[in-house]
Amino acid sequence: MSMEDYDFLFKIVLIGNAGVGKTCLVRRFTQGLFPPGQGATIGVDFMIKTVEINGEKVKLQIWDTAGQERFRSITQSYYRSANALILTYDITCEESFRCLPEWLREIEQYASNKVITVLVGNKIDLAERREVSQQRAEEFSEAQDMYYLETSAKESDNVEKLFLDLACRLISEARRNTLVNNVSSPLPGEGKSISYLTCCNFN
Amino acid sequence: MAALESPPKLSGAPPPREGAGGSRCSEISTELIRSLTELQELEAVYERLCGEEKVVERELDALLEQQSTIENKMVSLHRMGPNLQLIEGDAKQLAGMITFTCNLAENVSSKVRQLDLAKNRLYQAIQRADDILDLKFCMDGVQTALRNEDYEQAAAHIHRYLCLDKSVIELSRQGKEGSMIDANLKLLQDAEQRLKAIVTEKFAIATKEGDLPQVERFFKIFPLLGLHEEGLSKFSEYLCKQVASKAEENLLLVLGTDMSDRRAAVIFADTLTLLFEGIARIVETHQPIVETYYGPGRLYTLIKYLQVECDSQVEKVVDKFIKQRDYHQQFRHVQNNMMRNSVTEKIEPRELDPILTEVTLMNARSELYLRFLRKRISSDFEVGDSMASEEVKQEHQKSLDKLLNNCLLSCTMQELIGLYITMEEYFMRETVNKAVALDTYEKGQLTSSMVDDVFYIVKKCIGRALSSSSIDCLCAMINLATTELESDFRDVLCNKLRMGFPATTFQDIQRGVTSAVNIMHSSLQQGKFDTKGIESNDEAKLSFLVTLNNVEICSENISTLKKTLESDCTRLFSQGIGGEQAQAKFDSCLSDLAAVSNKFRDLLQEGLTELNSTAVKPQVQPWINTFLSVSHNIEEEEFNDYEANDPWVQQFILNLEQQMAEFKASLSPVIYDSLTSLMTSLVAVELEKVVLKSTFNRLGGLQFDKELRSLIAYLTTVTTWTIRDKFARLSQMATVLNLERVTEILDYWGANSGPLTWRLTPAEVRQVLALRIDFRSEDIKRLRL
Repeated sequence: MSMEDYDFLFKIVLIGNAGVGKTCLVRRFTQGLFPPGQGATIGVDFMIKTVEINGEKVKLQIWDTAGQERFRSITQSYYRSANALILTYDITCEESFRCLPEWLREIEQYASNKVITVLVGNKIDLAERREVSQQRAEEFSEAQDMYYLETSAKESDNVEKLFLDLACRLISEARRNTLVNNVSSPLPGEGKSISYLTCCNFN
Repeated sequence: MAALESPPKLSGAPPPREGAGGSRCSEISTELIRSLTELQELEAVYERLCGEEKVVERELDALLEQQSTIENKMVSLHRMGPNLQLIEGDAKQLAGMITFTCNLAENVSSKVRQLDLAKNRLYQAIQRADDILDLKFCMDGVQTALRNEDYEQAAAHIHRYLCLDKSVIELSRQGKEGSMIDANLKLLQDAEQRLKAIVTEKFAIATKEGDLPQVERFFKIFPLLGLHEEGLSKFSEYLCKQVASKAEENLLLVLGTDMSDRRAAVIFADTLTLLFEGIARIVETHQPIVETYYGPGRLYTLIKYLQVECDSQVEKVVDKFIKQRDYHQQFRHVQNNMMRNSVTEKIEPRELDPILTEVTLMNARSELYLRFLRKRISSDFEVGDSMASEEVKQEHQKSLDKLLNNCLLSCTMQELIGLYITMEEYFMRETVNKAVALDTYEKGQLTSSMVDDVFYIVKKCIGRALSSSSIDCLCAMINLATTELESDFRDVLCNKLRMGFPATTFQDIQRGVTSAVNIMHSSLQQGKFDTKGIESNDEAKLSFLVTLNNVEICSENISTLKKTLESDCTRLFSQGIGGEQAQAKFDSCLSDLAAVSNKFRDLLQEGLTELNSTAVKPQVQPWINTFLSVSHNIEEEEFNDYEANDPWVQQFILNLEQQMAEFKASLSPVIYDSLTSLMTSLVAVELEKVVLKSTFNRLGGLQFDKELRSLIAYLTTVTTWTIRDKFARLSQMATVLNLERVTEILDYWGANSGPLTWRLTPAEVRQVLALRIDFRSEDIKRLRL
């Protein structure tokens, strides 16, 4: 790891119902593209983008998962190693919003308890077809203690902000963890888990 | 010319304005001479005039000498005159000729252009005439061919007619024979319709009768009539029927298969294989015809039709598979078992083994088949699209992706694999649990059975996922194995270490109590009471040491597993499985798995620290403390006596040796090495403490120096690490304690330290110096360090 040129490495996993625009968000952020007529993702897609935040190189490993039910067991296997989850729904699709509690249960079951979860309402370019009000989503995310953002992968609204804000939060989280780890020496046999999230600080 | 110019230059330098003429040849005028009265003056003037005359004469001579050359030049110049006139004339003539040639060339080329145009028109005219002739020929030919049932010929005529420029037909109608041609054209169009009807009908009959030569015969005629799409669709209809009947036959065979059959366990995978092989053979056989008669780029259409049939056959096979193998039921059962506090009876993981293998085999076959289709269609498109625009190519790529990604076969397999992953996870977890529960330790071994067993299981599960040829499936299993090793299995080892290394001496009863509490605690955490328990201290000790070895082997095994998987997968990637991201995904998942190796290493380090502080330190400390009871304030006689009867260090070394022997036998060399390293650090630190509590005289210092040297010599033999560094401070203390006088320290200090790097601070040096009872504290205070 020390050979590579970055200060932090984070794993971000996008989840949410099929067709809410996960792949488009990732494409928009990593390649600046909005591919119309994007087919359904098969299994998981994997992209890397390195960004610079306050002079520090942050490598983001973005796992774009398939929303369809039959890929669930594949996508679930990625939750545990994720530093952050982007839970996406479609503001023009009530159903995708109604499924959120089910997704939260999945997160609860499979993800690490330190994971940062962001709720994203995508497709705000289709405002005239909105089915889920911003207020409702905000209330929901507040109740679940999640950060909430509305985006448009098509118009490139808030996409950059979504990933960069997340990277900032991950950095400060990582910093806090290293501090904690440094202060308390590991108890015998307890095995402080030194995730690579914290090791990469030493690069 | 140059010769003409040079004379004035040659003579122009010495007398000024000499060649300018004779008017001002002398400075002395006649009037001046006349006015002269004095002889002396006259003589002087005369003298000057004589001088001038001489000069003038010399000049004249020189000019005269040049006369002949100049004359020669003039002559040659005169001769040149007529020549120049000649040249002028020639040049004019040449210019005239060039202009003429140029005009001529332009003339010629414009004629050539005209000729070319004429030629082209001629060709067009011939072409058109040919076309018209062809048209007539076609009109006649079609009738005859149809009469003779020579459909190929008829179709060829129609094809010729369809290929003709429509304007030709228009033109021929405008001719003198317009009305006749009109009638013929009508006939031709009728013939076209008739031929289409006949071919369709004959094709239908041929397919019904399964008459392959006839089927192929009419299949070749469709494109001649411009019915590419129809031909392909009808032909694939025929092929699909063949696929279907063969598949039904195979499925019936499956249902009749005896369970004792050698292939019974993978019979559904075999059936799918037969289906795929059949379709692949059809593609292989008929691709040349399609390519030849329909042109490149048409294979996609054929396969699109075939895939529909393939999908419906796959559906039947998979349905039967799910029913006969209770696939969904097994999955639900597993799902129930995986839930926390599940009450349903646990499914025996071994029972899942065959079905898991069969599913991965089924998927591998599908991947192989889909890869075959992709390769064929891609290369067919490539030939057809060699001149096409980028957009067309992308469009074709997209439709190919859509066909293969969205076909029912892909979706069905994805569903099966989705359930497979959950079941494989259950298989892995349950089998690992079993291996842990059945953990046994054989005397003489460093590790216990569960480590080998667990890694065998993990390797088997990942290997099976790999055999599915699905990268996502493989990555998912790697992720799940990472979880299993990192949390579940590491917890098992962690808990064992947490029980602690039981202390043997009575001072550590306290410690024993803590470990008992720990045992209770961890047993409760595991949700079951470890019935084996810790029966005796010896067993508990052994358990701790074996666990340490286990942890180390785990760390190593993970690295080995990573390497094995890497080499296993290079073959897979070289076949281009899983798209361009496959390698990146795999590498990322694998690096997460490899990182677990470090976590085991950390755990090992913690265990060692624990062992050092609970087992080594309580033993070593009293041994070191006995140093205090040996006086280092000694006289010559005692010093000699110590020589003969060692008061401390030999016994200490013996004790250490005995203690470490116990560990050496039951720890792996790497761990033993780390432990001795920890032990030497401990000895160094503790010894330093007691030295600072002792007092010395000169001979006592010498004695300590000897003791330290023996100790270092011994420790060097038992460790592979360099221990000089750890004992650097103690060695320097010995040096200080060995000084003759207080001021002698200055021979070793500061500028005189030479290669020695002092690890003692000035204050510490003073502190050590003060241990020498024969050194006066004023002297020590006076030292400038």
